[in-house]
Amino acid sequence: MRLGTANTYDTTLNNLMKRQVELSSQQEKLSSGKKINRASDDPTGAAQAERSLTRNTRIETEERALVLQRNAITLAESTLGDTTALMQSLRELVVKANNGAMNSANRVSLAEEMRSLRDQLFASANRADTNGIPLFGGLGSASTPFVDPSTGVVFNGIPGQRSSTEVSLPGAMDGQAIFMNVATGNGTFNVGLGAANTGTMWASPGEVVSPAALTGDNYTVTFTVSATVPPVTTYDVVDTTTALPVPPAARPYVDGQAISFDGLSFVAHGVPKNGDTVQITPSTQTNVFEVVDRAIAAIDGAIGDNIMTHATNRALVEFDAGMDRIQSARGQAGDWLNRGDRISDSQNSRSIQLQSDRSKAEDIDMVQGISDFQKFQTGYQAALQSYASVQRLSLFNFIN
Amino acid sequence: MTGILNIGTRALLANQAALQTAGNNIANVNTPGYSRQEVLLQNIKGQFSGSGYYGAGVDIITVQRVHNEFLTRQATLASAVAASDTTRFEQLRQLEDVFKGGPNGLGAAVSDLFNAFSDVVSSPTDQTARAVVLARAEETTSRFQASAAQLQDLKQGVDLQLRDSVAAINSLAQRIADANDEIARAKGVGHDPNDLLDHRDQLLRDLNKYVQTSLIEADDGSMGVFLANSQPLVLGRIVSPVSLVQSDFTDPATTKLAMQRGGTTVPLDEAILGGGSVAGLLRYKNTDLVDAGNLLGRMALAIGTKANEQQALGLDLNGAVGTAMFTLPSMPAGYSASTNTGTATVTANVSTLPVSGATSLVASNYELRFNAGGAIDVVRLSDGQLTSIPGPGPTTLIQIDGLDLNIAGAGAAGDRFLITPFAGAADSITTAFASPSALAMASPVAASIGAANTGTLVMEKLAARSNPPPAAVTITFTGPGTFTRSDTGATVYAYTPGQPIEYDLVPPATTGWSLTLKGTPQINDTVTIGPNPYPRLNGGNAEAMMALRDLPMFDGAPLTDGYASLMSQVGIRVQGAEFASEVSTSIANNIEKDRSAVAGVNLDEEAAKLLQFQQSYQAAAKMMQVAQNMFDTLMQGLGH
Repeated sequence: MRLGTANTYDTTLNNLMKRQVELSSQQEKLSSGKKINRASDDPTGAAQAERSLTRNTRIETEERALVLQRNAITLAESTLGDTTALMQSLRELVVKANNGAMNSANRVSLAEEMRSLRDQLFASANRADTNGIPLFGGLGSASTPFVDPSTGVVFNGIPGQRSSTEVSLPGAMDGQAIFMNVATGNGTFNVGLGAANTGTMWASPGEVVSPAALTGDNYTVTFTVSATVPPVTTYDVVDTTTALPVPPAARPYVDGQAISFDGLSFVAHGVPKNGDTVQITPSTQTNVFEVVDRAIAAIDGAIGDNIMTHATNRALVEFDAGMDRIQSARGQAGDWLNRGDRISDSQNSRSIQLQSDRSKAEDIDMVQGISDFQKFQTGYQAALQSYASVQRLSLFNFIN
Repeated sequence: MTGILNIGTRALLANQAALQTAGNNIANVNTPGYSRQEVLLQNIKGQFSGSGYYGAGVDIITVQRVHNEFLTRQATLASAVAASDTTRFEQLRQLEDVFKGGPNGLGAAVSDLFNAFSDVVSSPTDQTARAVVLARAEETTSRFQASAAQLQDLKQGVDLQLRDSVAAINSLAQRIADANDEIARAKGVGHDPNDLLDHRDQLLRDLNKYVQTSLIEADDGSMGVFLANSQPLVLGRIVSPVSLVQSDFTDPATTKLAMQRGGTTVPLDEAILGGGSVAGLLRYKNTDLVDAGNLLGRMALAIGTKANEQQALGLDLNGAVGTAMFTLPSMPAGYSASTNTGTATVTANVSTLPVSGATSLVASNYELRFNAGGAIDVVRLSDGQLTSIPGPGPTTLIQIDGLDLNIAGAGAAGDRFLITPFAGAADSITTAFASPSALAMASPVAASIGAANTGTLVMEKLAARSNPPPAAVTITFTGPGTFTRSDTGATVYAYTPGQPIEYDLVPPATTGWSLTLKGTPQINDTVTIGPNPYPRLNGGNAEAMMALRDLPMFDGAPLTDGYASLMSQVGIRVQGAEFASEVSTSIANNIEKDRSAVAGVNLDEEAAKLLQFQQSYQAAAKMMQVAQNMFDTLMQGLGH
């Protein structure tokens, strides 16, 4: 075997170049801290790093949106707290109005106070988040979801509730369900006084005693006062839907005693005149504002008669029903806020995981990297030294 | 006495020649292509006398170059392959630089664009959030354009290199022809013209750096040089020059090497060109650059088309149906082969019916062939998959991989078309409007959940499938798993909780809307889906835009992962080319080492030879001196 002198120079030079390239690429990796500086270094790793990056920016975006959603829900929750307090104040005023010590003038000022609270209540329902999106817009609404024409408050929105997802909370609550969904009376039936009543009789809002026996029909309870002395008061119940009397006929009336039939029951107080009636109708849907409006109308300037007492009693029951809905919505908002915390936590840990995935895929292991660098360095040094010493050898050096 | 003098003279001459040859070897130690030479000596036939044969000294037969024809050719061939692989690898590395990853890459721009819709969802009327979306869209298109422009630059660079290479090939071919001529004439003298042969070998080696050749030596010593196994580049003194031509489809993206012979142009099949930098450049230009362009073009086209489709499903701030967000170029018409005889023309576009083709595009060119009997074959060029449409025609529409291929006119059997659906898509994608209000971020449909519902239904998702939406439809649940629709009377449909309810009764669902509910319905619970009465504060279509991020779009990969796979596909190609280049370079180096082991000059050897022949020369001179002394002795003896 012989060697071409020029070729040995070329070969050694090639090897030196290769070592130098290795060393410099390792140095690039060490200084950039990345083992993948171009996709061809490790195509799968590069793709993985890229995907982690995309996921991570997405989590950042979702987190940013979540902050806004949480702010909105927090605001909605505190607004619902405010409305509960307003309702509570209104309720107290209604109870106060019922007090026998009050006179008509007192009740005018009470009504005035109630109107102011009612306006606050209405304003709360229309509150918007920092971006101007109504808090209680449901599935979409005009920028003012509740409007108050003379015919009564209207919800200018789409009823319904968005669900939360794995990464987001709804940005608005269902205003229809919260404010516009109060059942009249006790929630099953209304107890109303006949418009032509002349006595001082008033009735409690009533209750269901046997749900199975309920018919959902309209009834009229008619009082009959005998002309005898002392007069005997009896009452008859007629199902006006079927136009059939509910037996027994001519039941005796006792002030403060329950009047019960067909699974429902209410208590009448006071003294009815002959022909006075109580109307039982099925409950219908109304809204919080109308309940308040009706209570105000009943109290404003009232002299404290049986009509006001009847109306305020009914209003108190309806207030409670309205407050229940607000409270349960508030509970829901609280749930969502907890959920928001959980989402935030899990997004954080996902983000950390993704960053570590990305790092594993493209960052250099420094210990490994430095040790490789030293290996390459030693290799390069050895190549240089051997080049220098081998190439110095020549027969010509020994001929003189 | 004269015998001794003669022998001495011859020995002096022979050794002088050997010393001269060694000197020449030393002088040419670093000359590329130089084969070391040696003097062949032989002893001269002896003179007969009564006492036997007396040798008559030494004679020089010839000076020969030491080389191994086989190794020389192997080394040339290996260097051709190495040149091809290395050239392609170097080019691919530049291509890779176009597709950078990380936060400054195209992928991040696309993902940022779709993430930007999040702020619009939070605040649909905020002009700033909308302006950010538009700015991101602008940024995305400019990155598409920048990448496409870089690809264009690379292509121009390759074209320049190819042109230079072709000039070099023609010049080398002419010089080889000249060398052939000189060698043929020199051969007549009876001795090999060593240096001319070395010169020609070196020219051949230089030529093979550009294009691989096969060689056949003629009796007169001239070398026949052939390209692509059989096409003669040089025959004796005749050169057939090469040139660059377009493929027979005359599409601007591809180039072929062709040979000019007797007035005709013969295109050479790139696949059998073998090695050489021209083969590497052609492969890079015709395959790698085209594929990269297709990947990029498909990404631009698919994302642009899908965003435009989604935009059309929304309402802008003025309540109008959204207009296209991106302006996309129409696909180039199919290139017809130069041999076509029919009148057919082929155009292509992304399918819209029955479903949008934007999600099923494959980054490839297609070849469409008319066969006998009206049958048509469509070949996907990226993987060779063949789709056959049986005759008899006329077929006017072929749907393949999300594309509509529209055929007008009549194709003759044997006519071929090249369809390049994605060429130019990334070059000219632009945003179509600059007004933030024109972003159609509101959904045209809204679902209202019955206020009197007793179940726990809440709305999870409502997606519009056509715009404007159909008239309101109320869904009434008749049980936990069944419902009726107000537009179809008493017909009862099955409801699977968590599964979307589609407006279209028969799949594929393409019109109306798709509604996903959460919670449990009670009997008589209702949901009404109809036109959105409050579009202004609605960000439903912006949400739908964000949902595109997860849409399976690029061979099944989600939209935002499309770039990662593009990047890695290019990376894999570069990695493969790098391995090939390393392997073939190391093979070439090894064979070159073997070749130079035979033909190369070794200085130690020459030093030894210098000593050897110097001593022989001194000895011969001494012999002359001895003869002189003998003569003097004889003369002195005669004088007494």
